[in-house]
Amino acid sequence: MSEPLKDPVVARPPLLGLAWRNTLRNVRRTLLTGSAVVVAAAAVIFMLSYTRGIIANVEDAYALTESGHARITGEGYLDRQRFMPLYLNVPGLGELLPSLRSHPAVAEALPRIRSAVLASNDEMNIGALSMGVDFAREEGYLDPQRMLGEGQLPRPGRAEAMLGAGLAGKLGLAPGDSLTILGQTAWRSFGGLRVEVTGTARSGVAYLDASLILLPLDQAQLLADLPDAATEVLLFARDKEQRDELASLISLDRPIPERLEVRSWRQEGTLLGLMDVARAAWGFFLVILMAMAGLIIVNTMLMAVLERTRELGMLAAMGLRRGSLIRLVVTEGLIIGLLGSAIGAVLGTGVALWVGAVGIDISAAMEGTEFPMGSVIYPDWHWTQVAVAAGLGVATGALAALYPALRAVKLAPAEALRR
Amino acid sequence: MTSRQPRTPSAPLFGLLFAAAAAATVIPGTVVAQEVREPTEILPRGDVQQVNDPAEILRRVDANLTFSTAWTRARMTIHYRAGDVRTLEFESWASGETRSFLEFTAPARDAGSRFLRLEGVMWYYLPRVGKSVRIQGHMLRQGLMGSDFSLGDATENPRLVEAYDAVVEADSTLDGRPVRVLYLTARTDDVSYASRRAWVDTERWVPLREERYARGGRLLVSVALGDVRQVAGRWYPFRVEMDNALQTDTRTVLETVELRLDLDVPERYFTLRHLEGGS
Repeated sequence: MSEPLKDPVVARPPLLGLAWRNTLRNVRRTLLTGSAVVVAAAAVIFMLSYTRGIIANVEDAYALTESGHARITGEGYLDRQRFMPLYLNVPGLGELLPSLRSHPAVAEALPRIRSAVLASNDEMNIGALSMGVDFAREEGYLDPQRMLGEGQLPRPGRAEAMLGAGLAGKLGLAPGDSLTILGQTAWRSFGGLRVEVTGTARSGVAYLDASLILLPLDQAQLLADLPDAATEVLLFARDKEQRDELASLISLDRPIPERLEVRSWRQEGTLLGLMDVARAAWGFFLVILMAMAGLIIVNTMLMAVLERTRELGMLAAMGLRRGSLIRLVVTEGLIIGLLGSAIGAVLGTGVALWVGAVGIDISAAMEGTEFPMGSVIYPDWHWTQVAVAAGLGVATGALAALYPALRAVKLAPAEALRR
Repeated sequence: MTSRQPRTPSAPLFGLLFAAAAAATVIPGTVVAQEVREPTEILPRGDVQQVNDPAEILRRVDANLTFSTAWTRARMTIHYRAGDVRTLEFESWASGETRSFLEFTAPARDAGSRFLRLEGVMWYYLPRVGKSVRIQGHMLRQGLMGSDFSLGDATENPRLVEAYDAVVEADSTLDGRPVRVLYLTARTDDVSYASRRAWVDTERWVPLREERYARGGRLLVSVALGDVRQVAGRWYPFRVEMDNALQTDTRTVLETVELRLDLDVPERYFTLRHLEGGS
């Protein structure tokens, strides 16, 4: 008895090799299908990094200008902070600051005096935000040197000030001019200071540029009648992972004097809480984006497989088993998904890193707003974004091939051949 | 140059910061160089029941608490709920209803701070800045040197009988004094307080207590007046304690240390030049 004829292809088809040959057989079709995956993967990576950049921008701007990672204030200050009450303050900085700075989790403790003032050029008054800071220690935080547009930084012990560029423009003041600052003291008396404008600031935060007056801490203390005191001490974590728990660590290790309170930036509510909501909303948006990217892949893959119904019918007529046929088509989808995702990942990463380096200037859109947000968005690339995009490309490519493959194998070979 | 001021009645002292000279305590023996003027009629107790017209009561209050010119040296003590106490001293000159000048003399960090009120407009001189600033808008809601007396109170000085309609609510006693409780409703919108309730001493025609309300009926200010003494034929509350409901962590006591009434006040006192340190 002769042995039955064995078709090596039919018996044990080398699926991977066959699938690879199939993808190369029609280069135009493969490129078309693959390009959908490339674009989708690259777009997902860029959008994820851009979204992460926006969130980081807002959180950083808020931490650097408003909250730190933890903030020590007078008891009740945070509930009234929109009034900037100077009478609720942090006294005894001479003892408090060294103690805070010696804590291993604290990278820096920055005293600031924040108050609502009137800035006067002798002809007009404009409401402004006065901030007294320790210029030397603010480097890398509020970073006055980086904000400096023209002129130079005010010097401690001198009646000098640096103005937001927008405020300086409105008052028609330039370095060398005199400015009168009218405000309140911690005793709620009127306070005043005549200073020389030494420089203008471009912080990148629109509302600050329109209203900020930066003073040496000692001059702000003089204006507010707050010797050895500040309205707040901002604490920054040495380790990024300890940002959220810094307030708890400080409370445990450093007894906070009476009538003071320390609060985590996560407890400050409004804006960061809003960011959590926004993060959820952006997550939903990204799911839709990824679904759209997936649909593009599905659509292209579907067309590519359906147009091969006749070819698949022929393979079935030649004896290729249904399971093998399905695996063959899905493997082709996987190959295209992998290749497309890899190229898309490289492309998306490249764009994200490049834009992340140069930034996207949104200052025109932010002008006039009081939202603490830097005027340049830097997309924040992370390897997990590549994993998400690649997973999307590969999984969608394979799944998208499954349906037309199932449809093709359900047809009788003769019917498939007629199509 | 000095000039004699016309004898136009000034604002009611009650409620006026710049008229603190007369609204604060006069320490016996310190009242000097005041001119003699017609004393306000001091009604015997038996006459109390005869004054039922609330407008007449306000007229008597106004008559007691108005003057043509005044100079005062006063002490303002701000008590903070946290336990801190801050004491400031000042001198003030007032002429007529519309002009007054005030200069803080202590403590050292506030010495030289000056206020000038002219025709309802207020100016403030900051010695550290070396220039004067017109105070307007929301700044008028701030307390004078952080006290419970608002600058708005200082710029507004209506004669009660002209600015308010009054009704008698009750007769009572307050700290052993017979009082008539009046409820005052503002006739126009251009006064700081839409309504007031005043406990008026019916023998001396001086309010001993007052509550001032916003339009919606919210209590804005509580005032207690005490140590009422007769000076130059008038009854004055020489100690005024103010509690501003908008500034919940303080209360302010104003005491007059020295008072002169109806004296010659140089015209130059009420000029921006004088405010800024010129002669």
